[in-house]
Amino acid sequence: MTEPITWTCTGCALLCEDIRVFIKDNRVEKVEHACLKGKARVYGCKHTAISTVDQKEVDVNNAISQAAKILERAKNPLLYGWSNSTSEAQVAGIELAQTLGACIDSTSSFCQGITISEIMNKSLPSCTLEEIKEKADVVVYWGADPMSSHPRHLSKYSYFPRGELRQRGYEEDRTAICIDVTESRTAKICKGLFFSIPPGGDAEFMRALMDGLDGRVPKLSYDFDVKRILELAAVLKKAEFGVIFAGLGMVYSIKEEFNLISKFMDTLNLFSNFFLIPMAGHFNMRGFNHNLHDKTGFIHRVGFTKNGPVSGVEYSVLEQLKHGTDAVMVVGSDPLASLPLSISRRLKDIPLILVDPCSNLTSRVADVTIPCGASGIEVGGTAVRMDGRKMDISPIVQGGGLSDEMVVRRIMEEVS
Amino acid sequence: MALDVGKFIKAPEYDVKIITRRDVFQASACEEDRFGDECLELSALIVLDAAEMKRMGLKDGTNVRLTSKWGSVVVRAGVSPREEQKGLGFMVNGPWVNALVSGETPDGIPAFKDIEANITISKDGITGIQELLLL
Repeated sequence: MTEPITWTCTGCALLCEDIRVFIKDNRVEKVEHACLKGKARVYGCKHTAISTVDQKEVDVNNAISQAAKILERAKNPLLYGWSNSTSEAQVAGIELAQTLGACIDSTSSFCQGITISEIMNKSLPSCTLEEIKEKADVVVYWGADPMSSHPRHLSKYSYFPRGELRQRGYEEDRTAICIDVTESRTAKICKGLFFSIPPGGDAEFMRALMDGLDGRVPKLSYDFDVKRILELAAVLKKAEFGVIFAGLGMVYSIKEEFNLISKFMDTLNLFSNFFLIPMAGHFNMRGFNHNLHDKTGFIHRVGFTKNGPVSGVEYSVLEQLKHGTDAVMVVGSDPLASLPLSISRRLKDIPLILVDPCSNLTSRVADVTIPCGASGIEVGGTAVRMDGRKMDISPIVQGGGLSDEMVVRRIMEEVS
Repeated sequence: MALDVGKFIKAPEYDVKIITRRDVFQASACEEDRFGDECLELSALIVLDAAEMKRMGLKDGTNVRLTSKWGSVVVRAGVSPREEQKGLGFMVNGPWVNALVSGETPDGIPAFKDIEANITISKDGITGIQELLLL
C-alpha cells in the first residue's frame, strides 16, 4: 500500500481537511475518514463530460471557440453555477461577466445567500466551526438535518467531539436541540429536545421562543405545548456558547421577514452567547459570495451594466431564465436537475454552454459542453467553508484536461 | 366476457404538501451516476406517514401520480420509518420533485418546501428522464 495523502474534501461546505487518500498509478485506491458524499466525490462520476458542439464530439479548442462565439453574440448572457468551483475559477467568471456585460449568479441565489449576506454585513453573529468544537454547549439544528446533508458535522464539530471546554463531549457537556417539521436523522439524537413544528411555522415558533426568553407566556396559532417552549427558552438562556445551525427549512420559512432572525439572536444574546452558522451545501458556495462581494459589493444576482455592477432579484438566475437572458453558460452545476423544471426547461430554447467534469441532465440539452477537471480532485486552489474560513484545497491526481478556471480564461481571451 | 369495471373507476385523489429534503444516500448515488438506477430509485420517491398511506389505500412501493399546477410525475410511494404530520409528503431534491415546484418566484427563491399537489395511485411506470425534460 502506498503512503496516504491528507486531503481536504470538496464533497460539501464542511471542507473536512483530515481525509486520507491512497493513490496508486494516478488513481484513487482507498479513502479513509470520508463520509459517503466525500467518497462519491473523490472516486468521481461514472459518466465524464466530453467536448461537444451541437451534441457532436469535437476538439476542446473548437468547443471553447464556439462558447466564446455564443457569449459574444448574446445581448444578455448569464453566467451561472460556480458553487462547485474554486475561488480562482469564480474570480475568473466574475471577470468574464464584467468583460461581457453579463449577469452572474450562483446557487446561493436560492439557497443560503440571504443568510450569508446578513452574516457578512454583521447583522447576524457568527463563529468558526473550531470554536464550536472547543466551546459550544448548546447546539440548535433548526430546519437543518446535517446527518443527511453534512454527515460529519456532528462528529467532527458540533456534537460528538471533546473540546477544550467540553471534555465530557456529548454525553454530558453538549445539549442538542432540533426544530423541524419531521423527526429527521439529526432529530433522533436530540434526546427529548426535538420540537415538531408545522411547515411554515418557524417565524411563529421563533416569536413564541422570544416571548419565553422575555418571561412572557408564548402564544401560538397552532397546537403546541407552551410548557415545552418555556423549557426550551430556559435551556437556551443557560448556554455558555450556543449555536443555531440555520438550515433551508428555517431560511425558506422565514425569508419574507428575515430580520426576525436578527431580532431573535439579539433577544437570545441578552441572556446568553449565541452564534449562527448557515448550513451551506456546495463546497464553495460561500466563496462565490465573498469573491463577488470583493469585486462588486454584492454577494450574488449581479448584472454588469454600463453604469457598473447592479444587483437585484431581476438579475437572479430564475428571473433571468424566465424573462431576460438569451444565452447561458453553466459552470459546475446541473440546473435541469436542481431548478423548477417549468423554468429550467427554457434552457432547451436558448444557446447553452456547460462547463463540468461530468455529464449531467443539462449536458443533454447543451449546445456546447466543455469538460474540466474536478475541483479538489484534479484542480487545486482555495475555497470558503460554510463558516467563512478560507481553506486551501489541493489536487490528488493529475488530470489530463483544463481546469474550469482555464476554460473560463480561454473563453475570455477569445471574446476580448 | 366479464367487464373490468375497475378500469372505468377513477382512483381517489388526496391533497399532499410536499417538502423537499436532502439525503446522503441519494446525493452520493447521484454524484456517482446521475443516470443510474440507484439515483432514480432514491429521487423518484415520495415518503409518507404509514397511517396516511393506509388512508390513501397505498402500500409501500406503490406507484403514485403526483400532480401540481406546474407538472405531473409518477414516482414510488414509500412508508416513513417514523410518524409524520398528517398531509405531508417528503421528496429528496431532484428533477422529479422539481417538475412540481411552482414557477412563480417573486423573490428569486422557489417554494421547494411548500409544494401543493395531489396524489393518486397510478398504473403508469416511473416518469423517465426524457419525459421529464420533454426531450
